[in-house]
Amino acid sequence: MNRLAIRNLVQSKRVVLISVGGVTLALLLMLTLDAIFTGVERQITAYVDFSGADIWVSQESVRNLHMTTSSLPAGVAERVGEVGGVAEAVPILYLSNMIVTGEDRHLAYVIGLPPDASMGGPWRLAEGRPLSGSGQAIIDRSVAEGSGTSVGDEVEILGRALEVVGLAEGTASLVNSVAFIAAEDFAQLRGGGEAVSFVLVRVAVGAETASEVAARIETEVEGVTALPRAEFAAEERRVVRDMSTDVVTIMNLVGFLIGLAVMALSVYVATLSRRSEFGVLKALGAKTSDLNRVVILQSLLSVGIGFVLAAALTFALSMIIPSLSANLTLRLSAASLLKVAAASVVIAGAAALMPVRQIARLDPAMVFRGK
Amino acid sequence: MSLAFHNLLKERLRFVLSIAGVALAVMLILILKAFLAGMNRQITSYLDHAPGSFVVAQQGVGNLLGATSILPLGAQASVEAEPGVTEAVPILSQFLILEFHEKKQPVYLVGYLPESGGGPWRITEGRAPDADDEVVFDQVLARRHDIALGDHLEILGDDFTVVGLSEGTTSWMTSFVFLRLSAAERLLRAPGLRSFLLVSVEEGTPLEPIRARLSGLPGMDALLLEEMKANDLRLFARIFSAPLRLMVGIAFLIGVMVVGMVIYTATVERQREYGVLKAVGAPNHVLYQVVGVQALLASASGALLGVLLAYAAGQLIMAVRPQFLLSVEASDILRAVGLGIVMALIAALVPARLLARLEPAAVFRR
Repeated sequence: MNRLAIRNLVQSKRVVLISVGGVTLALLLMLTLDAIFTGVERQITAYVDFSGADIWVSQESVRNLHMTTSSLPAGVAERVGEVGGVAEAVPILYLSNMIVTGEDRHLAYVIGLPPDASMGGPWRLAEGRPLSGSGQAIIDRSVAEGSGTSVGDEVEILGRALEVVGLAEGTASLVNSVAFIAAEDFAQLRGGGEAVSFVLVRVAVGAETASEVAARIETEVEGVTALPRAEFAAEERRVVRDMSTDVVTIMNLVGFLIGLAVMALSVYVATLSRRSEFGVLKALGAKTSDLNRVVILQSLLSVGIGFVLAAALTFALSMIIPSLSANLTLRLSAASLLKVAAASVVIAGAAALMPVRQIARLDPAMVFRGK
Repeated sequence: MSLAFHNLLKERLRFVLSIAGVALAVMLILILKAFLAGMNRQITSYLDHAPGSFVVAQQGVGNLLGATSILPLGAQASVEAEPGVTEAVPILSQFLILEFHEKKQPVYLVGYLPESGGGPWRITEGRAPDADDEVVFDQVLARRHDIALGDHLEILGDDFTVVGLSEGTTSWMTSFVFLRLSAAERLLRAPGLRSFLLVSVEEGTPLEPIRARLSGLPGMDALLLEEMKANDLRLFARIFSAPLRLMVGIAFLIGVMVVGMVIYTATVERQREYGVLKAVGAPNHVLYQVVGVQALLASASGALLGVLLAYAAGQLIMAVRPQFLLSVEASDILRAVGLGIVMALIAALVPARLLARLEPAAVFRR
């Protein structure tokens, strides 16, 4: 009976192609959406991940970098630096602003770095050199390429013309990019006193864990929240996840329904075209349960192939799309694969229901009547 | 025509399933578009209700939502000193992430002067903030997190009391929270800081000369409200267009596959009849017409059902998740139905090739 299921499937290659193709696309829809959001999650933590800091210190109850603000009084970096277990504390300034290149405006997180900052700067320069003083900026390579800007050109950040001295790699996301300027320029352009945004902390080698040092910073320095880098990055990912949960659920549901309709249609069509063969088998004494097994197996095989193809296509898209759209990154996660695999099994089972009913009603005598 | 009907309706369940497949694909396309259209309306809602004709922002900042704007100190006085300007309403705004029930909730905080404007345009419950420890929350946000009038909340470590609930101030990404300008200055540790000025001018004054003068002030750019709305829309369109196009493309392919499968199997089943038709002299174009009409019927019925489903799904989503606004636009409906027709034409290609190759004599040899 297993052989029959496979033969049924491969006999009409075009129908198989279309049905497997349909279910592949429906599953691709679910996987792609997940991959887009997982990609965004990864992109938005890039700066935190590569900042070089073991601990991020922010204004009390601020646990994110994105879509928020943090303001710490001047001098807080010195106080954090004095806490036991802290090897180094670097204050940075941060603001969401625009990089203006000619007529184009690019949304960017602007980071103000103190001279010779050992943390918080660009982690990979595609071109140019690090900041060496006032009047300079480092912007993302894709933003520069998109606007025809090169090293040595001027861009406007925080309303002031700055010379681009370097192009950073990996600092752009679907939403924005990161630009680096001197803290001195930042403070002057922003105004509003000497407040800093975050303090980046490196833990002393051989000292306690980052969590222990972070807890001590919170106890000894008033009005701050200190989080180990991994925890801070996890908080960033939660913003994307909490914002996107409903959208992903709705789209997954639609993808699931489409997959179900396509699969139900193809298994039904395949069973319909083999109706007379099934009749012959029944007439020869095959049990309905055996025939049901054929249909279910057929459905499982199609969905299984569809799932593998969808996963492979998503993977391929995650390779191709970044080169077409610089800032859209797709990332296939194990959790998403598991979820879609589970949905596939449900789709295969549900799709086989109608043909199973069809077979149960099948009259073996019909084959002799030539129907 | 009647042959096309007959072929399609011979297997009713198959026809129904094919319509369902196309309908779901069209529904998905429409929901994605409706989602974008709704989001566009939500994005501009603040500026739609803002007083004045211009927004003065920090030089280089052309968006309300997206970039933080920091105006030079004394900007309000310089703008109000310009001839033709009647009022410059200051606001201090900033995105913030609040946490409710262990869920991150981005909000757009607006510090404003209740006596001047720039705050919530419709308060459905309660009142505007009178004191620095009072806030007005968006009513949808409040409902989602069981926040009621009189509740106490912590924002950036400071305690606030909810004194009002506003309407029309939410989107799926973020909701507005309003407080007094002085409270925002304290909260953001930025005394005297202003993000934007909402500028009104004397009636009948030509706008362009004033805009040029305002943009000439040091560190400032003046934009018409409509321009800033367009900039915000462009910014968000840029973020969402790539993923959206990808999803719409996949949905379209699904529709083509579904119609293709149905028409192909229906054609294969009737191969003998088509052969007989050919043998008795029916030209290929008549057979193509039969296949084409079948594909069009399946696609058109699916597309129409898809429109209805999209409308119903939109209403359901908005009822269950009120932060979403899904606006099914007439132009998108037309486009989706058009896509349904394109689906049909592409789907009819393979069966048409099959018919073209069909040898009339083959039917007599069997």
